[in-house]
Amino acid sequence: MAAAQAGDARAYDLLLRDCLPLLRAIARRRIADRHEAEDAVQDTLLTIHRMLATYDPTRPARPWIAAIAERRCVDRLRRRGRGAGREASIDDHAESLAAPPGATGEDRVAARQLREAVADLPESQRTALRLAKLEDLPLAEAAARSGLSIGALKVATHRALKTLRRRFGVED
Amino acid sequence: MDTEDLIGRLAAELRPVRRLPHPLRRAATWLGFALLAVAACVAWFGPRHDLMERLERPHEVAQLLFALATGVLAAVAAFELSLPDRSSRWVLLPLPAAAAWVGSLGMGCLADVARMGPQALVLGTSWGCFRFILLMGVPLALSLVWMLRHAGPIRPVPVAVLGGLAGAAISAVGLSLFHHLDAALMVLAWHGGTTLLVVVAAVFAGRAWQERASVGFTAA
Repeated sequence: MAAAQAGDARAYDLLLRDCLPLLRAIARRRIADRHEAEDAVQDTLLTIHRMLATYDPTRPARPWIAAIAERRCVDRLRRRGRGAGREASIDDHAESLAAPPGATGEDRVAARQLREAVADLPESQRTALRLAKLEDLPLAEAAARSGLSIGALKVATHRALKTLRRRFGVED
Repeated sequence: MDTEDLIGRLAAELRPVRRLPHPLRRAATWLGFALLAVAACVAWFGPRHDLMERLERPHEVAQLLFALATGVLAAVAAFELSLPDRSSRWVLLPLPAAAAWVGSLGMGCLADVARMGPQALVLGTSWGCFRFILLMGVPLALSLVWMLRHAGPIRPVPVAVLGGLAGAAISAVGLSLFHHLDAALMVLAWHGGTTLLVVVAAVFAGRAWQERASVGFTAA
């Protein structure tokens, strides 16, 4: 410990590794959660690092280290306890939470009906609709890809929309 | 981060540290500074005209000594408590002196009543006392906490409270030397009351300090 205070990194490394079992034992005794306990061990190491100057080499090191570990565990429990008071498990409130848009039952049914209606269109109309409207390609490119003339593509798209509108009861 | 990696990093970052002197020596340094500051104030305002006469009355001297002892012991306790491996019972150290201080002021009240009758229980205002203890005591307390800033992750609240008590009690001693206040009840209310106020404020300040100190860790 005195060597660590003098700046001997090797002695310090060795010292910290030697204390690990003690620190872990203290943390595990106080904190049930394994990850939380390991976090408390790391807090302790950081505190030891920060408070190195306060250690008096004429006194035993163990109580000094153990006291810091106890303090950090208590602090962590206190903070977590306070946080837990403010938090609530989301599962208990699932019914009262607003569903994300598009995921309600009605929206899903509507989406499925639309997909079915599109699937029922004739092949040429479906392709025209996909290229010209959904992928929003320029007419010339959509025509080239679908193998239709621009005029035929326009007609096919128009008919497809008309069919869908009729099916869902929307008038022109 | 893995704990083993953390140790490696801490070791790599290690710089030689200057060991803190013994807590009693550090407490003596702070007390010297505090007493000097208060003495300078007494010199500035000029001691009260009846100081010598008052210092001949044993109970007045006892009051002063108890207040001084409260301040000194609170400072010693704060320096001890700022170290992780000291017993938390150090916090009790200034309590007997503080109790004796309040007790001696209470006895003074009773003596006043016996001498002057109900007149002694008329409580006036003395904002001068209030201001002095606040303006002197709080900076003194802050200077002590600054010397003990390393205690943040260990016992911030007791250290802050004892710092507040030490600063306020020592200011009260200085105040008694230059401020003209006769009735013991007034001294009890304004010296004792303001000291209590500083201590209560220190409790809240200590909690805020604790929050700040531990947030540093959970973020790390």
